[in-house]
Amino acid sequence: MIKKIVFGTLESRIYFIFTLMLFIAIFIMQLVLFRFVTTTITSSTLDNNNILLKHLVSQIDSYLLGIERVSQFIVEDADIHEFLENPNDLESRKKIELLLFNYKQARADISNILIYSHDGTIILSDPEAKINPWTTIKEYDWYNNALKENGNITISKSYVQNIIANQYTWVVSISREVISEKNGKSLGILLVDMRFNRIDELCGSLVIGEKGYNFIIDDIGNYIYHPTQQLINSNLRSEPISEILNLIRNRGHKDININNKYFMTETSELTGWNIVSVTHKNDIITDWQNIQIIYTLVGLILFLIVGPATKIISSGITKPVRKLQKIMKTVENGEFNLIGPIKATDEIKTLAYDYDIMVGCIRELIEKNDKDQELKRKSDLIALQAQINPHFLYNTLDSIIWMGEMGQNKDVVKMTSALSKLFRIAISKGHEMITIRDEIAHVQSYLTIQEMRYQDKFSYLIDIDSKFHTFPILKITLQPLIENAIYHGIKENNVKGFIKITSRLENDKIYIDVKDNGKGMTEDELDRLISSIDTEPEDMTLPTESNPGIGLRNVHQRIGLYFGHEYGLNFKSKIGEGTTVSVSIPAKMMEKQI
Amino acid sequence: MKNLYLFLLSLMATLVLFMIFSFFFYRQEASKKINLTLPIEVVLKSTAGQSMDFWNTVNRGIDEAAKEFGIQVNISGPNFEKEIDRQIIILEEKIKKNPPFIILATSDFRRLSESVNKANDLKIPVITLDSDVDSVFPKSFVGTDNIIAGIKAGVKLKALLKDDIKKEIAIVSHLKGTASAIDRETGARKALVGEKIIGTWYCDVEEDKAYKITMDLMRNEKLGGIVALNEIATLGVARAMSDISAHKRIKVVGFDNSVRELTYLEQGIIDATVVQRPYNMGYLAIKTAAEYLSGEKIDKFIDTGSILITKDNMFKRKYQELIFPFSN
Repeated sequence: MIKKIVFGTLESRIYFIFTLMLFIAIFIMQLVLFRFVTTTITSSTLDNNNILLKHLVSQIDSYLLGIERVSQFIVEDADIHEFLENPNDLESRKKIELLLFNYKQARADISNILIYSHDGTIILSDPEAKINPWTTIKEYDWYNNALKENGNITISKSYVQNIIANQYTWVVSISREVISEKNGKSLGILLVDMRFNRIDELCGSLVIGEKGYNFIIDDIGNYIYHPTQQLINSNLRSEPISEILNLIRNRGHKDININNKYFMTETSELTGWNIVSVTHKNDIITDWQNIQIIYTLVGLILFLIVGPATKIISSGITKPVRKLQKIMKTVENGEFNLIGPIKATDEIKTLAYDYDIMVGCIRELIEKNDKDQELKRKSDLIALQAQINPHFLYNTLDSIIWMGEMGQNKDVVKMTSALSKLFRIAISKGHEMITIRDEIAHVQSYLTIQEMRYQDKFSYLIDIDSKFHTFPILKITLQPLIENAIYHGIKENNVKGFIKITSRLENDKIYIDVKDNGKGMTEDELDRLISSIDTEPEDMTLPTESNPGIGLRNVHQRIGLYFGHEYGLNFKSKIGEGTTVSVSIPAKMMEKQI
Repeated sequence: MKNLYLFLLSLMATLVLFMIFSFFFYRQEASKKINLTLPIEVVLKSTAGQSMDFWNTVNRGIDEAAKEFGIQVNISGPNFEKEIDRQIIILEEKIKKNPPFIILATSDFRRLSESVNKANDLKIPVITLDSDVDSVFPKSFVGTDNIIAGIKAGVKLKALLKDDIKKEIAIVSHLKGTASAIDRETGARKALVGEKIIGTWYCDVEEDKAYKITMDLMRNEKLGGIVALNEIATLGVARAMSDISAHKRIKVVGFDNSVRELTYLEQGIIDATVVQRPYNMGYLAIKTAAEYLSGEKIDKFIDTGSILITKDNMFKRKYQELIFPFSN
């Protein structure tokens, strides 16, 4: 049933297809938008991150450069040269100790400055500090590298400096040879130790998101600094070093994405360190879930707005069609209704218009058909009515002959003239409508004949108001009623019959009552009679004396056809008391002869 | 009827939309966030005092893991390791808060078990860190395998005493009844089978007491080696050695890596020290908690490892971060 509703009607089909298409459209749109938004955010975040990273590198560089400058000042200091030429001069030693102390005090990030003279004298920036007795200077990398560099600066990796007793400090060492200006001979080595936690702080501060971090590797992939070095050492965490080195070597890509982490690198010119910045994908767009919910909600709202709109549109399209369908359906019940002008699209309008034309034609056809049928019936009835019962004519003529033989000439003349009058009115130049006066004359003639035939078996009284005389009536309306009264009311009765014909006006209808005092009818007989006059006769038979119902029916139906079905015959009867037949016709003057 | 349809269809569409969206985008959330209303409670042995370096490093490991797994952590503990009553009070307070998880570094193997059982009754999962507790309920123990650490110390001492004829060995332990002390001693004794161990002395986590014990022990001419089972004990022993320059004749293997110990090591007063991995301890404790809370199975025991450090390898790049904590 559901399927039928979903796919059966035009409306639901349109709605379903629209909805489906909308759904797909919204979904694709959201998908594209979501991807677009996330890629845009990611790329712009990475751009920013790249700027941050460059900033970090330049900070580290400028930081080291500052230390380098300090070392430059010290190396070029004349007092130092003087001292190194002559290491045993106590006064110059004091001066230099103060100098180194001041340099160290000026910069909190310098943990220690040391000058080593090749004769083994060591001067420290901290006068309190003592050299760790369990070490030898010549084993240190910074010492050996400085000697190799011939006066140029060397920067070490980060390591734990243990040159001072009881101190273990994480440092990056800057060391260089002090070379005599006079003879170019090596005088000694200068060491400046820079606290590594400054670099740790720098690397820790310039990160993106909660999980972002920076680390430093050298050009072959050894760690110089990593915030979670211990996890790396214990293999609890690892970095994709080979991929990062690839990224460093071919600068084609800005970043690489491994396991939802974006890696970007920047190389420091000064140190040759590669600073690697790591950004977590989840930190770039922190609230995936919220974005998802918002997108879903937007989709839902769109859907909820457009869904009903689709329904309205689809029902708008199908509404006129349904209206058409509804009206067309009434044809099943035989009603031919016109649709008339409707609000709809041109196609539907044309359809409705054409349908209306078709219905109009059908209606005309049916009306014409009905009229034809009526005409045919009328003419049939007229034909029947026009024929005087031959039996009656025969009996009348028989009576005339009999009266002639008896020499009752007066009676012969009377009956013959009545008969002649009867026929004249019955023919009445072919008119269907005659005045009530003429109809009375016709009935009068008929009664005259019947009275003479049945001799004193009945008497009659015609009492029609003279004001009705000019109203039209169908010819031969009353005669069948009187015939019926005579044959069924009086003929078989022993009492002398009496027929009374009266008239009255009621509700703009003229009633002419034909009352007899015959045997009357039972209720059953009355009902049968009433129903029989309304039914169509199976065949057009002549009214006979034995079947007067046919005559009554003809009268009733003729009145119905001419004046309308509210007019016709009414019956009142009581057994033993007689019957009254009333004929009603409109109280209207004749406008035109039909 | 039609309206009902519209409604149903919209609802269906919404559901499908949501499901597809979830399918497409939710899986991008690679690491599932654990949503906790309350922070995880970490109750440590001490938050101040002599072994600060160790616990600072543990804290740094905890912070790193908390950041990685997106978990809120609340760290507390008594000021000093010997304040066992205080630790019990703190633990009881934390249990009252009904936290989602408790990480506990017990100062005493037995006395905290009652509170741990109580936490279990309240369905609060507990794991122990660094030192275990006398209870079956903790879901896991994250710490150094102290028996293995003890064996390492014992093996080293045995090697050091190989050419020595005296070969009497003393053990200076930190606290009687502490799990770490028991296990390390067990390990050391296991490794030193065949050597003559003259006994175990307890310094009650007091350096001076360890110093006195060592002074007394050194009267014994036959003494060839001492195993000191934690930082404080090691420092007391080393100071005594240093004071009477006995380190030439007596070999010392200690535990932990405070700056002073390292100085003694550099000087050759102590010959080796077994170093734990406090950073890894903190990190793995939180990692284990995160795994448990996200429904994964966790191991009953997670060894964070230990390393034997001697004068020769103490400045190796590989061990520098481990033995010289990166704190200021």
